[in-house]
Amino acid sequence: MNKLIWKLLRQHISVGQLTGFFFANLFGMMIVLLSIQFYKDVVPVFTEGDSFMKADYMIVSKKISTIGSFAGNTTTFLNEDIADFHHQSFTKKVGKFTSSQFKVSAGLMTKSVGEQLNTDMFFESVPDEFVDNSLKKWNYTPGSTSIPIIIPRTYLSLYNFGFAQARNMPKISEGMVGLIQMNIVIRSNDNSKVSHFTGNIIGTSNRLNTILVPQKFMDWANNTFAPGVKPETSRLIVEVHNPGDGNIAKYFQQKNYDTESNNLDAGKTAYFLRLMVGIVMTVGLLISVLSFYILMLSIFLLLQKNTTKLETLLLIGFSPNKVARPYQMLTLTLNVFVLVISIGLVAWLRTYYTSTIELLFPQLHVATLFPTIVCGLILFIIVSIINLVAIRRKVNGIWMHRA
Amino acid sequence: MKSIHLQHTLPNVFTERTDIRSDIWLQDVTFEKGDFYLIEAASGTGKSSLCSFIYGYRNDYQGSILFDEDNTRNYKISHWIDVRKHALSILFQELRIFPELTALENIHLKNGITSFKTEKEILSYFEMLGIEDKLHQKMRFLSFGQQQRVAFIRSLCQPFDFVFLDEPISHLDDVNAEIMGRMITEEAHRQGAGVICTSIGKHIELPYKKVFKL
Repeated sequence: MNKLIWKLLRQHISVGQLTGFFFANLFGMMIVLLSIQFYKDVVPVFTEGDSFMKADYMIVSKKISTIGSFAGNTTTFLNEDIADFHHQSFTKKVGKFTSSQFKVSAGLMTKSVGEQLNTDMFFESVPDEFVDNSLKKWNYTPGSTSIPIIIPRTYLSLYNFGFAQARNMPKISEGMVGLIQMNIVIRSNDNSKVSHFTGNIIGTSNRLNTILVPQKFMDWANNTFAPGVKPETSRLIVEVHNPGDGNIAKYFQQKNYDTESNNLDAGKTAYFLRLMVGIVMTVGLLISVLSFYILMLSIFLLLQKNTTKLETLLLIGFSPNKVARPYQMLTLTLNVFVLVISIGLVAWLRTYYTSTIELLFPQLHVATLFPTIVCGLILFIIVSIINLVAIRRKVNGIWMHRA
Repeated sequence: MKSIHLQHTLPNVFTERTDIRSDIWLQDVTFEKGDFYLIEAASGTGKSSLCSFIYGYRNDYQGSILFDEDNTRNYKISHWIDVRKHALSILFQELRIFPELTALENIHLKNGITSFKTEKEILSYFEMLGIEDKLHQKMRFLSFGQQQRVAFIRSLCQPFDFVFLDEPISHLDDVNAEIMGRMITEEAHRQGAGVICTSIGKHIELPYKKVFKL
């Protein structure tokens, strides 16, 4: 009997109209989903922190001003400065950056190609508690020639896009970074002592601009190559309870301290990204709404053309539910197709930009299609419910026309 | 449903009229289940309106229509559906069949709601009325008289306490009219149902308990 109803009511269905609705809805939904997915995929680029330095850590240095230099202000932190930090309410922990008091020469050599990228550097270290303690490899036994090191991410980009690109050498992703060994030569300042070490890169950081070594190594090396020299502390690492605390900015300003703010730019870009995605998504939603409206009109037109038949069906004892059912099923089926195909399209389009992201930001965990699927389902459910309710009400309206 | 009670009813379009003389309008009329009634009506006296009011698809009337003393004006949609499925059957004057379906499909559409009649019974009805060769023909190719017979069969395909036949033999010859009369009597007796016929002139010969002039 349902077949009969369908046979009766499927007349007047304009395939052209429904096709138009289908594509419009598909287009709209695809734009919405793609923008959501894109945002989710790309935003971590700007907001993802270090893999092992938490956001609650701040790296503090003293502001270098010309007047200050003339006046002879120190750019290093004295013990009083450090003690003062401890007195602040927002401070949780304070640690010193220890810098190397000897000459360091570091060279990068890829196993495969053998070319050397060499430069004079200096090492820095922070107390172990400030480094992610899940790094089991962050250990040094005095006397060993192998040092675990953490390099700035910019080094990797420098290599990939400067060096390797120009010399047609293979690019290195974050995952491959472990394959690289650095040849490290340490000389005492009077060149009396020289030692060779191998540096094993165990991670990258986007908050450092120099090579980080374990505190144990630094203490040993400073002792060995620059005995008696007391290193001055020009940078502090401070763990705060809440980085958003307004007192922090006030204190820094008061004491003329600087904090590295590379996150500021990232913040601006993230904002811009959000804005762009928001605009695109709004356009997508608009298209979706319009196409949804087209569908409603099509269905209403259908219902209108079939009013007499629907009325008769109601008169011979069919409930409005039964009578609305074929149209509701039609709409639902179309919506399901739109959902499935748009998710598929998003997944396909996504492959175009995820490969680029993976290359540029190899440490990023690229998100799954989860946000797309969830949003798609939500949209689908909302739209379908509205559709079904509207159809039901229209059919009820046909009943009411005479009664 | 044991009774249909009309209390002081009048179509709204007649409210201005002062010369209403009717056995139904503005009267207190009760139809009892199991009895036969004839409503004779001249043109324009509101015959189709009466059917519409009782069947619940128009409510532009004053007064009350009560099913077992239950006022139908307050009925919800679901209640009306129930009535149309199980209590009230109707043969519309304008038939209200689906021209694009075949005769049998039209019957199946209705019978499928309650599965009241068997296929055999349906086929025998077609035979009785002489239209068994039209079973699989699309309704639009049938004459009005043939369509009327199909609509009549359709009205039998449900359980009912009352059946309304609005000008059922307007396009039938006497032979078929008589057959139809026999069929409805038999069915009404089987279900213990009441029969209400309307006519402008020609009517089926049935043992009417009362004849009303609309």
